Amino acid sequence: MLGGAAVTEEVFPGFKFSVASYVVSLLRPEIIRDLDLPRHGMELLPLDGTMTPMPNGDYLWRVNDHYKTRREIARHSRLDAEAYDEYGKAMVEMGRFAKPILGMLPPDPTSLDPRGLLEMLSIGKRFRDMRFHDRLNQVQLLTMSAVDFLDQWFETDVLKATMSASGIIGTFLGVRSPGTAYVLLHHYMGEIDGAFRSWGLSRGGTGAVSNAIASAAREYGAEIRTEAPVARILTKNGRATGVVLENGDELAASLVVSSVDPNLTFLKFMDERELPAEFVEGVKRYKYRGSSGKVNLALDALPNFTCLPGPGPHLRGAISISPSVDYMEQAYDDAKYGEFSRRPYIDMVIPSLTDPSVAPPGKHVMSCFVQYAPYDLRDPATGSREPLRWDDQREAFGDAVINAIADYAPNIKDIILHRQVLTPLDIERTFGLTEGNIFQGELTLEQLFFLRPVPGWARYATPIDRLYMCGSATHPGGGIMGAPGKNAADRILKLVSR
Amino acid sequence: MAAVSTTTGRYDAIVIGGGINGLTCAAHLAKSGLRTLLLEQRAQVGGCATESELAPGFIVPTLSHATGPLRSDVVEELQLYLHGLTFTDASLQLSALAGDGRTITLWDDARRTAQGLSAWSQKDAQAWPAFQASLQKIGALIAGVFINTPPSIDQPSSRDAFALLQTLGAFRSLPKADQWRLLRWGPMAVADLVSESVEDELLRATVAADGVFGAMLGPWSAGSGLQLLLTAANRALAWPAGRVVAGGPAAAARALQRACERYGVEIRTGTTVHRIDIKDDRAIGVTLAEGAAIEARSVVSGVDPKRTFLTLCDAEHLPPEFLWRIRNYRMRGTLAKVNLALSALPQFAGATRDMLAGRIRLAPDIDYIERAFDHAKYGRFSPQPWIEFTMPSVTDPSCAPQGAHVLSAYAQFAPYTLRDGDWDASRDALGDAVVNTLARYAPGITSLIVARETLTPLDLERGWGLTGGHIFHGELALDQFFAMRPLLGYGNYTTPLRGLFLCGNGSHPGTGMTGGSGINAARDIARALS
Repeated sequence: MLGGAAVTEEVFPGFKFSVASYVVSLLRPEIIRDLDLPRHGMELLPLDGTMTPMPNGDYLWRVNDHYKTRREIARHSRLDAEAYDEYGKAMVEMGRFAKPILGMLPPDPTSLDPRGLLEMLSIGKRFRDMRFHDRLNQVQLLTMSAVDFLDQWFETDVLKATMSASGIIGTFLGVRSPGTAYVLLHHYMGEIDGAFRSWGLSRGGTGAVSNAIASAAREYGAEIRTEAPVARILTKNGRATGVVLENGDELAASLVVSSVDPNLTFLKFMDERELPAEFVEGVKRYKYRGSSGKVNLALDALPNFTCLPGPGPHLRGAISISPSVDYMEQAYDDAKYGEFSRRPYIDMVIPSLTDPSVAPPGKHVMSCFVQYAPYDLRDPATGSREPLRWDDQREAFGDAVINAIADYAPNIKDIILHRQVLTPLDIERTFGLTEGNIFQGELTLEQLFFLRPVPGWARYATPIDRLYMCGSATHPGGGIMGAPGKNAADRILKLVSR
Repeated sequence: MAAVSTTTGRYDAIVIGGGINGLTCAAHLAKSGLRTLLLEQRAQVGGCATESELAPGFIVPTLSHATGPLRSDVVEELQLYLHGLTFTDASLQLSALAGDGRTITLWDDARRTAQGLSAWSQKDAQAWPAFQASLQKIGALIAGVFINTPPSIDQPSSRDAFALLQTLGAFRSLPKADQWRLLRWGPMAVADLVSESVEDELLRATVAADGVFGAMLGPWSAGSGLQLLLTAANRALAWPAGRVVAGGPAAAARALQRACERYGVEIRTGTTVHRIDIKDDRAIGVTLAEGAAIEARSVVSGVDPKRTFLTLCDAEHLPPEFLWRIRNYRMRGTLAKVNLALSALPQFAGATRDMLAGRIRLAPDIDYIERAFDHAKYGRFSPQPWIEFTMPSVTDPSCAPQGAHVLSAYAQFAPYTLRDGDWDASRDALGDAVVNTLARYAPGITSLIVARETLTPLDLERGWGLTGGHIFHGELALDQFFAMRPLLGYGNYTTPLRGLFLCGNGSHPGTGMTGGSGINAARDIARALS
């Protein structure tokens, strides 16, 4: 099946799940245009708002309608309502600055090539052209923690908690860890039909996005083979010549492009002796540290939230279990010492409300993204890292998730027909994502831009001639975004046509 | 008092705060021929570099027990060796105790350290010299940045451009591997940084401690790598290498005071500044707590940015955005200080006398420090803090009565803001936590205690004017460093007000008591005034 982590599967009869990735927003608009994806059957349905239930029975419900949200926040704090405008403006500016960088070929700061230097200077110049205010935000965004960053604008704890959540997605960091503010922006740049920071569901699940891209590719003449696992990348005196499939078929090619992570590309599909020692060291040092899990539920009815009883528009958006900053931070603390969060952060969506085609009439599917679930569980006795413990911890983890939800929607336990629990170990096994990291490697400062994935090799090329990288492990990183693939394609065409 | 101000006439510069940086700045200004007045609210100058009599005959370094170390250009330019500054051997940097009798000693000479390490880990013994060499090279590069004023982003001067090219050149001249290390290590978590080169947990924790010292960071916090690099940079600028100021920070302060007097600085101690007087967006002098106003062409603040702009200046004179940013300047102290007077030398498992003559760290592994940090996140102090202590009486018996000793301990983490209760109610509990932790390494120590002093971040704020009790005048994070310390656009010791300058740790490089901020600022201010 196509799509990698963006797949739709009928896990239980009649219930279709976006098994791993579940929302679409980072997909670059130019890609949607260039490949004419709507014509190929991709349809994005807006996912309106985020509802965060609170322990005291209240809730915080942010929607795309700025003024509605403003009024809602004012219920909690007038000051924050005003700050929300300022914050929104600031983030848009940040996005304006960062976006061109997403599509940029990372320069090599250590090369003596003046062009690299000029590229760096061009960023510096654009930085200079920003207003004082925005410059500061930009720097802080790169280095501060999500909470510290938000603290500058807001006082309402639940608001900061639920906003900071997007700063930790897919990282092994807490909302108070420096560097998480950047991921805020990474997710803030979500864009549907040009509308800033709106998230969307794909009709028919995220798999439909993959299929649309596939169909576009086929139309352009690409040949796609599924169920064709690669065993090795063939090289001949330092040059890639093709691949060998697990079934033994040998496919010759004038160039090979790998969209899987560096660990698989260079350590599994190749013999490290074919590569420079320094490069191999970099590949081994590259951090994955999967920290998230996924729980997919087939529901007999809709969950009933104590804070907003009954059905309603609040269920059509995302529902976030992120009641307080401490709750988020404590969830992280559990993970730091090698346990899954007893009370995890959960981001839920119920696609069947927006797209009935994914569940039988009257029934529903609910997708729960969960953090933290550290790939490296530790043996309580010895403290040694034991990912395989996940095989006995899977259901306990699933229960922790359900319990956390039940605190706010007590009926959840009675309406579950089926439950699918994906641990980082499962994500690794199923999707070939090393250590279950959904971004093919952490989005931390030392693994971004010209440092992603390996210092000196951030320009989609590899030490092997005619072997290239195009996955999330390359700049600008993960999310259903397509940017690494497009950047890589541009780069490869340029190199090959030389 | 008002009479005094008129009789003293008009000063070229008034320096607020007689800490290491304030003294350095004042001395340099006076040496450059400017009429300089230094105001210190405490009874003696030195700021955090001071000592006190804990109990009859027991002299302890009240706060800091090790200088930054002092920067070589400060020592040379102010000729501190002519003003009583002497040095002692510091080839033994520090030691770590595991508690079970196992120890690690870090020497100035990496090869010597490696020899000792080979007893625990051949791998570390081999990796250590290379690791230190990289740290040194990178440290030397950053040191080059320390000695210059950060460039202006809007109108870079020719000097800025030159300094920038210099740095770029220095960067290029690093081995390629170290160029990448510099770029990776800065934003990294120090735990990851050391784990790349070192496998022994005790050694990891001992090195990683430099990354979190005084900060609201745990070893697993991204960005803690920067502080480790800054420590390396400080070392690269120390004078002379491998030696430290004899008599500790207080001795350094005394030498700087003599230098000030020698160059004609007028020093007034026990004098609290109430307000910086501002007229038409220009600092024109200060008003003292007792009401006297003193005029000057310029005011140089050695106190932290928050105190300078939010307490000493009237808000009306400053741009709202600037004030908002300064309010959000992060300086949440996490360091506590415990001083002990001991009736005899405590027996630390495995510690030799040589080790006790230097700094000693107590942190068995990285997670121990991280757990200590976790408490701070939730507004509690660590029941089991990580500790660095010295025993000055081991090298200098005059610090304590015959056979008796003094012990000076830094302990982290103790957050400035406690969630439950306040520091006045929790001070002793913190002291107990520190003593109990010490007792796990030196079981008999409790019974030796003659007197004990516990200083919380609140005490640091009350007694030394450190806002939030932050010993570095603000977190040394990437967004509060270099051209952004304390704030982007004001990294060059200037402020929104003409005639008002910064020279404290809250300005570049701001890496502790090195005199670096003071001397850098003084050079620019002297140029600006003459």
